[in-house]
Amino acid sequence: MAEPYITLVSSLPYLPPFEQADRSPITRLRLEQRLHNLDTDDARQLAKAEALVGWRMSLAKPKTDADMVLRSRAAMQDISQSALREFIEFRIDQQVILAGLRQRNAGADASVLEPVSGASRWVRHIAAHWGDPNFKLAAVYPWIAQARTYLDGNDACALDSLLMHVIWQRLGHIAESNRFGFEAVFAFVFKWDILQAWLARDAVRAKFRFQDLIKEIKDDS
Amino acid sequence: MEPLILALGWVGLYAPLALGAVGSMIGCARAGSAACGALLEVESGYGRYIGVAAMPSSQTIYGIVVTMALRRELTLENSPGIFGLGLLAGLALLFSASAQGSACAASINVSKNKLEIFGISLAPAALVEGFAVFAFVFALVLAAGIPK
Repeated sequence: MAEPYITLVSSLPYLPPFEQADRSPITRLRLEQRLHNLDTDDARQLAKAEALVGWRMSLAKPKTDADMVLRSRAAMQDISQSALREFIEFRIDQQVILAGLRQRNAGADASVLEPVSGASRWVRHIAAHWGDPNFKLAAVYPWIAQARTYLDGNDACALDSLLMHVIWQRLGHIAESNRFGFEAVFAFVFKWDILQAWLARDAVRAKFRFQDLIKEIKDDS
Repeated sequence: MEPLILALGWVGLYAPLALGAVGSMIGCARAGSAACGALLEVESGYGRYIGVAAMPSSQTIYGIVVTMALRRELTLENSPGIFGLGLLAGLALLFSASAQGSACAASINVSKNKLEIFGISLAPAALVEGFAVFAFVFALVLAAGIPK
């Protein structure tokens, strides 16, 4: 197995489970410095993936579902690393399932998924099983039932935590598949992103952010 | 045919040293790369990591000893034995050094954040070393049976 990033991986600190962390073990600046050891092409692919499926997307968030589909298709054409592609697909699947659950809770029917029909392999499946509580995907994604419970209870914090946990676990498996390869590096970066998002949780700031988003939507319309 | 047999004898004679050295190069480079990375993360104990990175160099020493044990005037009678013994011992040393490098790199990577597991994390590397010692010792034992 290729181990091109032994030095880079060894220079990265241990990331504690995000729920137990009280501070980030590495700053973004220092992480960027370490990531300079990445091959140019790998660095480019990682940046694209971060902008697309990072917990806190670094680029402006897409305004519409169709915009998101276009953006993901464009990015996927540039991403050749199979493990990274699989992770992106996993994240997009997760987002599509969550969007389906939210839309159904809001009373929408399956036709609402049409704009994202090309985004995930599960869109047709979800539309076909719109009436099933878990879209008949519980065997593939066991977290759906729990996510549905949190959505029904309007518990956004618990839902966030659950999704972060699912992604964290997935990234752990990816990193284990090649401990000194690109897999370990990008798994670290996405985990670090989740950790930052977890540590940045702040009710007061969230309120201001929510008000900003409302203002942004009003300005657009 | 006779020159070929004698040439194989020479290959077998030098294989333990050459292949052991190749393995040590790979292993030390792997472990050394991990050590260099860890140096960026730790505040002290640098020598510990560099020391671990040198562990795969022992295979070269075993290779030198086996080559010296096999050294004799090459004849048609002893060349096939030297070839078989030397080549297989060399391959064992090559793979063990390379694998030990990976084990050392893993040890360095995990122990930089949790110093208390430094010793136990070296156990896999020590196990690999044990297999290299088996190959080394039995190469010496069997070398004694090859005609002078």
